[in-house]
Amino acid sequence: MTAAPAGYGRALDLITRVRGVRGAMLVSGDDGLVVAEQLMEGIKGPAVAALAASLGSRLRRAMEAAGVGAAQFWHLQGERGALLVVPTTSDVLVVAVAEPDVNVGLVRLELLRAAELVG
Amino acid sequence: MTTATRAVEAWTLQPLVKFVKEAGARLVLLMTSAGQVLAQHGFSRAVDVMSAAALGAAIMASTEEIARQLGQPAFAGLNHQGVRHGIFLAGVTTRRGRLVVLVVYELDASSHGLVQLFFEQLAADLAAASPKDSVPKQVLAADFERELSESLNTLFGR
Amino acid sequence: MADDVKTLSAELAQDPNSLVFLRLGELLRHKGQLDAAHRVALTGLERHPHLADAHDLYARILADKHDYERAFDEWDMALRIAPDHVGALKGLAFLYFKVGDLDQAAAHLEAAQRVSPRDPGITQALDMARRGERPAAVAPSGGGGAGSGGARGRGPASPAATPEPLGPTAQPLADARVFAGLEGAEEGLLLLDASGRVLGGALKDGGGKDVSDAVAAYLAGVSQEAGRTAKLLGLGAWTGLAAEGQSGHVHLTPPTETALLLVVRERAVPMGRLAVIAQRAAAAARRWLEAQR
Repeated sequence: MTAAPAGYGRALDLITRVRGVRGAMLVSGDDGLVVAEQLMEGIKGPAVAALAASLGSRLRRAMEAAGVGAAQFWHLQGERGALLVVPTTSDVLVVAVAEPDVNVGLVRLELLRAAELVG
Repeated sequence: MTTATRAVEAWTLQPLVKFVKEAGARLVLLMTSAGQVLAQHGFSRAVDVMSAAALGAAIMASTEEIARQLGQPAFAGLNHQGVRHGIFLAGVTTRRGRLVVLVVYELDASSHGLVQLFFEQLAADLAAASPKDSVPKQVLAADFERELSESLNTLFGR
Repeated sequence: MADDVKTLSAELAQDPNSLVFLRLGELLRHKGQLDAAHRVALTGLERHPHLADAHDLYARILADKHDYERAFDEWDMALRIAPDHVGALKGLAFLYFKVGDLDQAAAHLEAAQRVSPRDPGITQALDMARRGERPAAVAPSGGGGAGSGGARGRGPASPAATPEPLGPTAQPLADARVFAGLEGAEEGLLLLDASGRVLGGALKDGGGKDVSDAVAAYLAGVSQEAGRTAKLLGLGAWTGLAAEGQSGHVHLTPPTETALLLVVRERAVPMGRLAVIAQRAAAAARRWLEAQR
């Protein structure tokens, strides 16, 4: 990773400052565990980490089978919220938990910037 | 290989079935800290259950002793991640006494995070389901083999 | 034909804001020069975004290029601007014909007939729609607008106005054609049941190999995991999962509780557009699933 653990906070700050984002995390894509987190109260970090990694891994297999390559950004939309994820080259997932009406384009940009910082 | 979930003590069955489904576990063994098997999922041979129960209980006993010697609280759980499989071992406190759960999961189908996430639910479900008037049984060395044999008969429908 | 491409092009070059682009675009389309027509229409549309005729022209060119979804958008836009635009009403009727939605096709033709009651083509097409028939293999040829100037009435009559003879096996909606008429129906749209079995559509990878079954098998797991994730994280019911891949984009959505729809497009297609395509395909899938009951 190119960012020291202290730099993780800076990466997460980029995401949480977007209006409508309720939390941001770095997750180990391999084992679905929390690496770093900045979450509003009520969001269960370990659950977000485990489920985001699991969904990401299943999605990756489906996308590879479809011939479109690995996901560079994905977005799960729910009626009451959204999960937005950018995987990094070191298999860390940069994750945002957001309100349903969040500016997805803006969150995506900040996730990509954070992913660059994390490496 | 059968994928059925079987229980010696019926109250363990529902929580275990739910855990297996949610965590995507391949093998699960629920036992007392002395290695007496209460329930299992995914094992096809009694001999495997015997080995896994003995090894799991021994690992838990060893790590608890290490923690004690270090003056630390007991380890919450142990995880070993291999190339294709992960092994997760952790203790659960119930009215039936301290129990040990051994989980083997495939990395294609599950992860340490998922197993740990749903293990917390399993621990809560087992604590809630354990009989109120349950008293931890002392398993004497002389009784151990007979107890184990009875458990295996139940688990494998003999 | 009095107008020729050279003359009209010169006119347009002299006054880029003039409406002559409508005649030039239609003429190029009529001559089969679709790329040139496309460029002319798009340039005109940029200068006259609130002109219904411009959207109608662009829609006809898109329909000629078999880009029916965008053609739908353009005719839809034309009707928002001019609700009685006969060209747009006939164009939409044509698209509804193509997907087998004869009720909608008839409704649009009836609306067109109210505006243009003496158009024999509309009467004939309406008669077909009411009999529950559909054109076997109509090619969109456009033309016939609201009677305005420019290209209106110059090009060949619209598909709805001159329906081709029906093939003997024509059906309102063939089982195998869930997404008939939708862009990428045979290579980039897939409808599955909850167990990952293909119900309709098809998916091909970059090399043209059919990967429908393999992808379907994986998608059942993705759908279950998406549902569980949304539920356990308090996101409510999941409504869609969009992903940008290295060489393409995907959008997954559950059109019903027991079905799953996948749309795959190349990277050039923006994610927002993909969501619109998915919405349309989901509507087609719901109609098809309803018809199967």
